[in-house]
Amino acid sequence: MALLEIKNLHAEIEGKEILKGIDLTVNAGEVHAIMGPNGSGKSTLCHVLGGRDGYEVTKGEITFDGHDLLEMETEERAVAGMLLGFQHPVEIPGVKNIYLLKEALNAKREAQGLDEVDTFTFMKQVRELVASMDMDDAFLHRGVNAGFSGGEKKRNEILQMLLLEPKLALLDETDSGLDIDALKVVSEGINRMRGQERGIILVTHYQRLLNYVEPDFVHVLYKGKIIKSGDKTLAHRLEAEGYQEILEEAS
Amino acid sequence: MRKELPDWLKTAMPETAAAPDTIARTARNQVESLGLPGLRDEEWRWTNLRAIQRGRFNTPTGVGADIEPSIHLPLDNPLRLRFIDGVFQGVPDGVPEGLTLSSLADANDDTRQAAFAPIPAPSVENPNDALVTLNTAMASEGVVIDVSANATIERPIVIEWLDGATESVMSHPRVLIRLGQSANATVVEHIETVGEQPAWRNSVIVSTIAANAALTHIALGLDGTSRLATERTFASLERDARYHSYNIQLAGQMIRREYDIHVGGSGAHTDLVGLMMPRGKQVLDTHTRITHAAADTTSNEHYRTIADDAGRGIFKGRILIEEDAQRIQAYQSSNNLILSDNAEIDAKPELEIYADDVSCSHGATIGRLDEEALFYLRSRGLHVDEARGLLIAGFAQEVIDEIPLVDLRDWLTERVERRLGDRDTSGNETA
Repeated sequence: MALLEIKNLHAEIEGKEILKGIDLTVNAGEVHAIMGPNGSGKSTLCHVLGGRDGYEVTKGEITFDGHDLLEMETEERAVAGMLLGFQHPVEIPGVKNIYLLKEALNAKREAQGLDEVDTFTFMKQVRELVASMDMDDAFLHRGVNAGFSGGEKKRNEILQMLLLEPKLALLDETDSGLDIDALKVVSEGINRMRGQERGIILVTHYQRLLNYVEPDFVHVLYKGKIIKSGDKTLAHRLEAEGYQEILEEAS
Repeated sequence: MRKELPDWLKTAMPETAAAPDTIARTARNQVESLGLPGLRDEEWRWTNLRAIQRGRFNTPTGVGADIEPSIHLPLDNPLRLRFIDGVFQGVPDGVPEGLTLSSLADANDDTRQAAFAPIPAPSVENPNDALVTLNTAMASEGVVIDVSANATIERPIVIEWLDGATESVMSHPRVLIRLGQSANATVVEHIETVGEQPAWRNSVIVSTIAANAALTHIALGLDGTSRLATERTFASLERDARYHSYNIQLAGQMIRREYDIHVGGSGAHTDLVGLMMPRGKQVLDTHTRITHAAADTTSNEHYRTIADDAGRGIFKGRILIEEDAQRIQAYQSSNNLILSDNAEIDAKPELEIYADDVSCSHGATIGRLDEEALFYLRSRGLHVDEARGLLIAGFAQEVIDEIPLVDLRDWLTERVERRLGDRDTSGNETA
């Protein structure tokens, strides 16, 4: 059974159709990259998968790990193992990072029928992860993303993923706006998440990320449809030739 | 404009008061013509005193002296100055060196003069307005807190306002706080309703902060659905003095708090920080007025309101920078959160600047919970109710985090969380 199966997905926002029939299958153990120019529907796809209000699915179905995803609330999707990494992680001053991490982990554990994590184990694990993402412990006691640089926010997204160990990680332009040092740290984090149990979807505007995280499949999204799929060489072609060539070829 | 003074208030006017005779007599002559503020008074546009007007409050009879507060603040070895329905219960034992506490009733002429002299506050048309004048005319109870030069009083001085012990009581207490040069002290107002009786307290606190001294003044309005309060704080700062104010109002039927801060010596600084959380039909109102009367002075103001149910929150912050007060930095922010369709928040900054070398900014926001932040927390697996609660608590926390007493800060965090936890059950119970 596929981890994620999207069939003929149509979705609109404020009456405007953005996704016009998407089919995509992701199995555990696979890394998929979804690329596309601005306005192709990349972020809409992420928001629909995340369950954001205001996006209406008009046609099609999505199955995640055996569940009908469209019947699930945002938080139900998360505790079932689908985590969305934000393109623009939200600043929430007043809510401490450490608190969010713990609550998120406990929400997942509760859904799995497990007890709350004990503080000692939790802190040990979190500190190791913080160090591995080249971040400072002090960040744990700051507000969620509050006053973080772009790079810090994206590291924080990966840190949350490493802690919460989702079945499917959906990363929306996690590489955008990163300088090369931050990109390396973020990529290493993503590579550490790779595994037989887990699917990863990288939604990206740039081919650069794929030099560090090698995808098994690459899809080109254009005007709300996947117009071409292939292996990693497709990304190289996009980089070398630009979207135009591929678009013409597909049409 | 004004509302006529109700008859029950006219007849309650005492023959003698704590104020010096000439001041008291003048005040008594003025109160009738001043009346009570009405909605047409610009400073009272959003808050009315109808509940007081109709209240038929009596002066306290001095019963209930054995009443204890039921809320315990985590303060380290506090010095308690207890007022039950405005009646001062006496000076505690073991007052540390450098601190003098005395009942206003026992104070000498000079001290009483200092406590009741008309107050200069250029940022407001009539600082000695109806309510202050009423307090001057009627005050029979009060306390004087004197901190000697160079003394640092580590123990917090707690003024306990225990209101509502007896039926329909009004009180007009006055407090004088004087800090000598380079002195340091922390004063906490613990405001609690001890009975279900309606009560009205019209209190005035006058503080003078000498050169290089620092006063931390924390006001905690903790509970009460029938508590009415009109509270006025004056602070005047000499050179290099600091006045740090934290005003947390969590409940009350109608609470109107006003600050007049006179930053009168170069190098002086004031922080005004506040959180108001009206719900049910509560009206929580704070007006602040800062006058920068000397060069090289600074002020930092940060107020937040969270209004739920049919609660109303009001914040008006005025900053006046006088002509010769150059090189001023004055910042004000007022952020407000509305949680229900029936709640209302009015926020108004007011800047009046006559100097030219000034760095001054203000910003007011009123909004609902950030949907984007809510989605972010839910996408991490937090239930929508928890995510909502966390965002509201986090919004309040940014104010609480500014309070310098760590234990009190943690206690308030928990109290606010608990209060948010029982929202939606009934908008009207106490915290």
